[in-house]
Amino acid sequence: MSVRGTHVPEHLRLPIAGVTPPPTEKDGQRLFPTGNFRFFRPVYKDKTPPCNHACPTGEQIQKYLDYVKHDRYLDGYLTIMQDNPMPSVTGRVCYHPCETACNRAAHDEPIGIRGVERFLGDYGLNLAENPVKKDLPPLNGRTVAIVGSGPGGLACAYHLRRRGYASVIFEALAKPGGMLRAGIPAWHLPEAILDAEIAKLLDLGGIEIRCGTRIGDDVTLDQLRTSYAAVFLALGQDIGRRLDAEGGQARGVVGAMEFLRETGLGRPVRIGRDVLVIGGGNTASDAARSAIRIGGGAATIVSLEAEDELLIQPEDLAHAKEEGVGLRPNHALVRVLTDDGGNVSGAVLARARLAKDDNGTVVPHLTPGTETEVRCDTILVAIGQVQVLGWLPAHYTERGLVRADEFGRVPDEGGTVFAGGDVMRGPSMVVDALGDGKRAARDIDRVLSGEPVRPDDPVEVMPYEKLNTAYFRHAPRTEAPLAPAGTRRTSHVTEVTLAYSREEALAEADRCMSCGVCNGCDNCYIVCPDVSVMRDTRQNGHYSIRTHYCKGCLVCVQECPTGCLEKVPEMDFDEPDAVVRMETAFAPYEGAHAEQAPFTRQLIEEAIAAYDASRSNSQSVQPNGPGVTS
Amino acid sequence: MHHELTVWSRGIIMDKEARDVSTCVTAAARQLGYYAENVSDYVDDPDRTNCLVRRYARFADEPILDRFVYENPHPDWVVLVEETIIKAVNFFRLTADGEGVLVINSARDPYYLLKFLPDHMLAKLAKLVVVDATGLAEQRGSSPWMFVRDLSELAFDRMSTEGAVERLAIGRGIAAPLIGALVAATGVLPVDAVAEVVADRDAMLRGATQHTVVEYAREP
Repeated sequence: MSVRGTHVPEHLRLPIAGVTPPPTEKDGQRLFPTGNFRFFRPVYKDKTPPCNHACPTGEQIQKYLDYVKHDRYLDGYLTIMQDNPMPSVTGRVCYHPCETACNRAAHDEPIGIRGVERFLGDYGLNLAENPVKKDLPPLNGRTVAIVGSGPGGLACAYHLRRRGYASVIFEALAKPGGMLRAGIPAWHLPEAILDAEIAKLLDLGGIEIRCGTRIGDDVTLDQLRTSYAAVFLALGQDIGRRLDAEGGQARGVVGAMEFLRETGLGRPVRIGRDVLVIGGGNTASDAARSAIRIGGGAATIVSLEAEDELLIQPEDLAHAKEEGVGLRPNHALVRVLTDDGGNVSGAVLARARLAKDDNGTVVPHLTPGTETEVRCDTILVAIGQVQVLGWLPAHYTERGLVRADEFGRVPDEGGTVFAGGDVMRGPSMVVDALGDGKRAARDIDRVLSGEPVRPDDPVEVMPYEKLNTAYFRHAPRTEAPLAPAGTRRTSHVTEVTLAYSREEALAEADRCMSCGVCNGCDNCYIVCPDVSVMRDTRQNGHYSIRTHYCKGCLVCVQECPTGCLEKVPEMDFDEPDAVVRMETAFAPYEGAHAEQAPFTRQLIEEAIAAYDASRSNSQSVQPNGPGVTS
Repeated sequence: MHHELTVWSRGIIMDKEARDVSTCVTAAARQLGYYAENVSDYVDDPDRTNCLVRRYARFADEPILDRFVYENPHPDWVVLVEETIIKAVNFFRLTADGEGVLVINSARDPYYLLKFLPDHMLAKLAKLVVVDATGLAEQRGSSPWMFVRDLSELAFDRMSTEGAVERLAIGRGIAAPLIGALVAATGVLPVDAVAEVVADRDAMLRGATQHTVVEYAREP
């Protein structure tokens, strides 16, 4: 038991109320550990910001925005690299679930997180030496086989390397990158950037990519299982669904996936000047925009979905429209028209709407009698993707996808086969695959080191309502600059979205409200009326509460902009040894005030005796008078 | 027979509750023919929110001689209107060994509360009485506290609202079950007689029956 507060030095032992030294005086404060005023204690409890929670890779977005704010770009880059091996890629192509979740949207506009990520990613790519490399552990001698060199496979290889595992990636195509190369056009993601990101990974050592090797044909799954410690299946879905319509076999009907793959691999493609794209998703939009760039003509997206139902990313749709992509919403292809040579010459479209049957399969509802004929010379089909999985054991697959449990484990006897990305979850985002790769690496490590796999700990996500929004000035979002639409239409390599300048990235980072996470704003330190918030360095969470003195006024909790300060009932702290008891303020040591002095007691006893005597003698007594009269 | 009651509470935000406890005990004692005194302590600077404040009552069957000493020199009954005070102060100063009755307004387990008492205070403890007065009191809106809805909101009170919405009735709210538990557990004053002076008689009687007593001094 501490005796602080009960020990009073000799020279301060003044029994008279009001003359004990004030807390500001030397040693004075020691007398008054006013912590006993407190019944709620302010506690720093960092929550998970919604951006971080929404990101499938779990990027610590608040943290790197804070680093950018303070010009600490290398720290920011390294923060991203803890979760995501290719910020230059995601900084360009990610559909940014983080921005969708951003609390700032409820305040004014979400933060341009993707642009800042790209800024940091490109900063990292331009460094002479990869800063991640020097902190890698040595290889532990175990090697994991990864099928597919798309984002899922690359992320898994990277995170395995960070844990000391080597990996061999098997890629069926001639170049690595999977969908990043064969699905995403160069005007979204320049080839040089992708190549540089992959080269950066290979430079870490321990990662090997074997291109032109198709599992199932060249190597069997059993060979992988026996030769490697574990297997990660991330082969994606890169085969376009076929068009099930009359004339679908005509020359000029091309799968959008195949079209994008051939362009991505740099092979020559033929595309007409009058292109119809069938489908309502992002592939349709990418294919239409690429068709305009390569063919130099026009492209129209024919979709079952109404315009506001399209699955195209809103900003991509806006950019596509700027580039002249036409839309034919609520239409379906009925029949392909061909000329005498078997080439596409046109199509019959009908009004239609999107409907789904009980299994969730898309069933077009055509309106009879609305057929119209349109001219076209190419039809790109973007109605979904599949993958050939016949080479896998039948119990691995279900409805064209690889079956996996919540940890991405395929139902395999050994428990060392994992899956992730599109082949497991169906068409989804690059960042989903990156996240799957990261989790697979963690769980492969757990399985191989004999640890049980377990789900992530539950987190508390910070809602907008719990922020102290009065502290955040409204500031408009800086949109990432765009190349002019005219230039974009004519070049397949001109990037559509351009980079933030340093100033723009800083301005965006500065808008971060740091939801639920201490960002060292000093507000608690400034508002505390009791000098009870202490700071050593001005950095995340580097404050401490002096519990001996904090009176629990909770001004700091009310004035914490980010909501990372919480009040916790003092009685919840089960720390009897940390209790500091004090005597009350103006009776600083035992006995002061508390007992009648003997002399006073004697006076009172005499007075009572006299009073009793006067009562028995029936004499009056003057209260407070000069004394007892006799 | 001489008993000294010290009620500990917090400045401004829960002052009235403490005052009502000491006032009712004194009033009842007077009506029962005892000599009794009831004093508010102002040296602790009770105008400060959250500051520890004390209310004193004492009664005896012979005249009380400590006329110029308003602090209870040897409190044998101690009431904590808010549970955290158990961590805050030595409320058993100059209490005789093994004679202190401690009444705490808390919904927690009594043995959890006992953990926070150091040995020198435990030596003075005769019995610990835990009563969830907040739960037993008449609920005004969603809470019995005077000005606000619950304790966690009370923590944010900076209005210095004491007296602004004063309730004239004595022995309402938190105070009533606390008085009930104190009187029933000590057994010196008859519960029915004290209930006569408490405004919220029902809550007082709820407190008199629904509390937990740990006979600490008698436990091995």
